[in-house]
Amino acid sequence: MFKLPSIPRICRGFCTQTSANLPISENFVNRNPRNLERMRIGYKPDGYHLEKPGRCYWHKLNLRKTGRYIYATIDHFENGTVVKASTSEWALKKQLYKCRDTSAFYNLGRVLAERCLKFGLIEIRSDIVPPKPDGKVAQFLQALQEGGVVLQEPPQFKPARPWDQLRLEKPWEVTE
Amino acid sequence: MAFVLGKFSSNLSPKCNSALINFIRNGHHLRGKPPGVARSLKQRLQEINYKDPSLHFRVDIGLPAPAVSRSKQLQERLKVLKALRKNPDLEKLARNKKLLIDLEEANNVWLKTSGLYHVKAIADHYGVFEHLFGDAYFLPVVSLKLYFNKDNVQHPVYYGNVIKPADASNKPEVHYESDDKTLWTLIMTNPDGHFTQQDKEYVHWFVGNIPGNKIEKGETIVDYLQPIPPKGTGYHRHIFILYKQEKKLDFSDFKKPGKCLNLEDRTFSTLDFYRERQDDLTPGGLAFFQADWDRSLTDFYHNTLNVKEPIFEYDFPGPYIRPQEWFAKRRPFNLYMDKYRDPKQINKEFLMRKLKNVHPFKAPPPPLPFPNAIYFEGYVPSWLKLEKQKSRMKWGRINDIE
Repeated sequence: MFKLPSIPRICRGFCTQTSANLPISENFVNRNPRNLERMRIGYKPDGYHLEKPGRCYWHKLNLRKTGRYIYATIDHFENGTVVKASTSEWALKKQLYKCRDTSAFYNLGRVLAERCLKFGLIEIRSDIVPPKPDGKVAQFLQALQEGGVVLQEPPQFKPARPWDQLRLEKPWEVTE
Repeated sequence: MAFVLGKFSSNLSPKCNSALINFIRNGHHLRGKPPGVARSLKQRLQEINYKDPSLHFRVDIGLPAPAVSRSKQLQERLKVLKALRKNPDLEKLARNKKLLIDLEEANNVWLKTSGLYHVKAIADHYGVFEHLFGDAYFLPVVSLKLYFNKDNVQHPVYYGNVIKPADASNKPEVHYESDDKTLWTLIMTNPDGHFTQQDKEYVHWFVGNIPGNKIEKGETIVDYLQPIPPKGTGYHRHIFILYKQEKKLDFSDFKKPGKCLNLEDRTFSTLDFYRERQDDLTPGGLAFFQADWDRSLTDFYHNTLNVKEPIFEYDFPGPYIRPQEWFAKRRPFNLYMDKYRDPKQINKEFLMRKLKNVHPFKAPPPPLPFPNAIYFEGYVPSWLKLEKQKSRMKWGRINDIE
């Protein structure tokens, strides 16, 4: 409902070497549902004015602890949980001594980071504030960052209106 | 309390409530239904997006998930866990925060257990099944491993990672587990990049009748074409699907001779392809990556495909401009009127003003260090002063022609 139409408008490129033209329809639609988010122009909810911040994200990291296990998830604002990792999985449990100690937190972070990179999710919002600077949760976040996940999302790019003061650079045109 | 008061006053006769009327504040109406009765945006969206499960359900078309005896599995696992608990070295490592699990092994176990469902979830998140199979899905029971080799560097394909077209210029190495008596089909398609039909795909690679996992012994139906996402269109999914065949199939309808560099010939629809052969084909393996434009593609379009390189730009919806009023109070007239003029005309005026001071043969004067320090000759109204200052500072609409 709030989605922007993903219809890039065509402008023919200049090229003198070749003669043939591809048959191209006027509107090109990229159906990849993650494309606009990755290009930073997809819709991202802003949340409400008087609300505690935490609703403004595409993908968000959540950590849930129970008496025995820890569960880490990556949630999407529309699709819900998309990536999961937990020490209750046999793959992790098999190699851990205990499923809730510090090394379990650290290893869970490593595994989740690996999965996120495999699934193409590199930038993830995290509102988790570790209660102790070198505690279990901090270890988990550190392992995620060491694994290559950035715990911050870029803001949504909004196009400049004609009367705006400046024209910001388009993020997808920066290739270097 | 406002709505209670309103109700009250309507029951009273106009004569006796004349004293009350003074207390009714007409400026502060409660708009809409009171809180608690009115639905929130979330509830409204849920109602709009509700889908009847008896109509919108999905069908599993894949190979069955491996069946495991729960009790046996539990027994084995308990044995392993007991052994772990008795291991003093492991306890020491865990206590000293030095226990690092083997990620490779964890990954292999994961892919055989809960990983199937996780991969299905992420494929749903990327809209893979929706765009290839409509209302059907499958579990990736056969773990498919693909690597692109470029300059002795391996670029593995997982489930949505980004690989640049330059790295995927040669066909990938394919690994999966199977016995030699079975036949397989591997198809790579791109559902995001079709230039003319939005609901169609381009087939990038099609190998049929593969005996076991020996891909080079299979019948190449369509030769490999590297990803060609055009500039400005963002990230395209490139999806590999491995089908298990019941018998040897005839794919001569899809056979394309040579390298097949005409993109129209590569038009493909996985759904139609699967529908016709659903008795003989069962999807079992899945892997996909995303690719976006890079510099190597300009050369590829010009020299290999022999076409002009298409360049796209995202078409943003225009800003909301509310209907024009006869008397726009408390709004600067120039800014207000500009919103309702043709933007092309405005840009033309800016350009004409600029060209007045441009000499065709002389170099342009160097930019002033303090552009706003220029004295205004004679009387200049404040709005015009501001406009000039904005142009000197390169703020606002002048950016559209610069």
